[in-house]
Amino acid sequence: MAAGGVEWRAKIQKVSTKIQKNTYISAISNGLMALMPILILGAIFSLINALKLEPYQNFLESTGLKTYTSIPATITTDLIALYAVFSIAYNFATQHKQQGFSAGILALMSFLLVTPKGLLEDGVTKAFGYSWLGAKGLFVAIILALIVGKIYTFVLEKKFYIKMPKGVPPTVEKSFAALTPGFIIAVLVLVLTAIFGATKYGNMHEFVFSIIQLPLTSLGGTWWAMLICIFVIHLLWFFGVHGTLVVYSVVGPIWVALGLENLDAYQRGVEGTHIIGSPFFPVYVLIGGAGATLGLIIAMLFAKSTRYKTLGKLAIVPSLIGVNEPVIFGMPLVLNVRFMIPFIVTPLVSSGLAILLTTLGILPVLHGIQVPLGIPVLVNGWMNGGWRVSAFQLVMIGASFLIYYPFFKKADAEALEQEQQAEIKAAATAAAN
Amino acid sequence: MKKILLACAGGFSTSMLVERMKEAARTQGIEVVIDAVAESDIADQTPFDIIMLGPQMGHAEGDLAAEYANIPVTTIDMLDYGMMDGAKVLSTALELMEKGA
Repeated sequence: MAAGGVEWRAKIQKVSTKIQKNTYISAISNGLMALMPILILGAIFSLINALKLEPYQNFLESTGLKTYTSIPATITTDLIALYAVFSIAYNFATQHKQQGFSAGILALMSFLLVTPKGLLEDGVTKAFGYSWLGAKGLFVAIILALIVGKIYTFVLEKKFYIKMPKGVPPTVEKSFAALTPGFIIAVLVLVLTAIFGATKYGNMHEFVFSIIQLPLTSLGGTWWAMLICIFVIHLLWFFGVHGTLVVYSVVGPIWVALGLENLDAYQRGVEGTHIIGSPFFPVYVLIGGAGATLGLIIAMLFAKSTRYKTLGKLAIVPSLIGVNEPVIFGMPLVLNVRFMIPFIVTPLVSSGLAILLTTLGILPVLHGIQVPLGIPVLVNGWMNGGWRVSAFQLVMIGASFLIYYPFFKKADAEALEQEQQAEIKAAATAAAN
Repeated sequence: MKKILLACAGGFSTSMLVERMKEAARTQGIEVVIDAVAESDIADQTPFDIIMLGPQMGHAEGDLAAEYANIPVTTIDMLDYGMMDGAKVLSTALELMEKGA
């Protein structure tokens, strides 16, 4: 297995690199990743604004603070598509070594171009509705950012713009160079707007939402899609590849959209409808990191061998915030057939049970709060659904301990024997001298 | 002064190792700058003399080696990484920088 494993590892690494290095995929995932500060701020303010404690809510209402605590959530998560379209186009262009800023604002302009606008009741005030600027507009944002990014970089790379006669300052030429893709993009997006306007959908948003976003998110939001993702992620990790990163770059946009819809519901005081969304993963799968290894690390703290005891002490603190590379590579869990079963089964058990209990209404649907790395397990659960989620996480830490323990016990005994033999050998050499 | 750059997915686990490497450098009296970043941010860094990847990002080694042909690019040994063996990784880095790309 070992030699074959290494061979497989090389093959899997190649495929993973291809997926991750794909400029479209990495522009989307890096672009969304760059929105983290906004998503986290929005989530935290949602929590501050909507925390279900009656005296606290009364306090907010009576002091008039409620008017203000509701603002940040609105301008962060409710406008997420606006931030995303800029960020993704920016990332796409910089990856092609072109100016990200110009691509970003052109993409933002295109997005506003296709978004329906209208007049308010007074008949004079022009307005954009919020409905397409948040989670519902996320896929149009992604598509437009990529189209604009592609046209922008293509035009500049192929130098497909009006050349200035000699003697014109280079700065002027540069601004014309950026103008050309701008015109092409504006005209194309206008044409797109007209075409979608002529269909029964009325605009690009309605079309993309019902033809692409809705089917994709309902597919990606199913329990079996989640379990397949978890399986693939851990299989990749088994071969030493950062599986979370690879899989997330593909399904991330779907989970983010679902999570944001839940957050929107939470903000309005109702429970979200999507069991699976962006926080599902850190809350229910990564209990202690990939492989839900927190229970294993606790077992290591009681190890008989020095080796695992040292590793356990080293790994416990980072693991509480989901960073468990020390165990993955120090145990190691990579290419280690003995631990393959618990490594894949533990996160599947935890997420499977979470899905089941949420369906039964025993666990709440998660609020959709994007928890930053650094927020420890139990706290991230509490933030996303209160004490019931934390209690479930606690039970799953125990389950992780029980599932890993039989496998760990053997590994620990072997390590102990090796250590004792090394000691005997050392003592013998010392005596001989 | 030589600069060692460590990179992993988000720069989290490598930053733990960086702390241990700095500690090892201090106790051995070696003057060196060590930093950890996300793999996607490598290009934004000021000049550095070696790139060391966390084993989970080993698949990026080939591309990075091609891009930074004049400096050594390497993947950190799995066990050294897991045990966060700062001294060992530091000595590997110094050795590789000595040898060059």
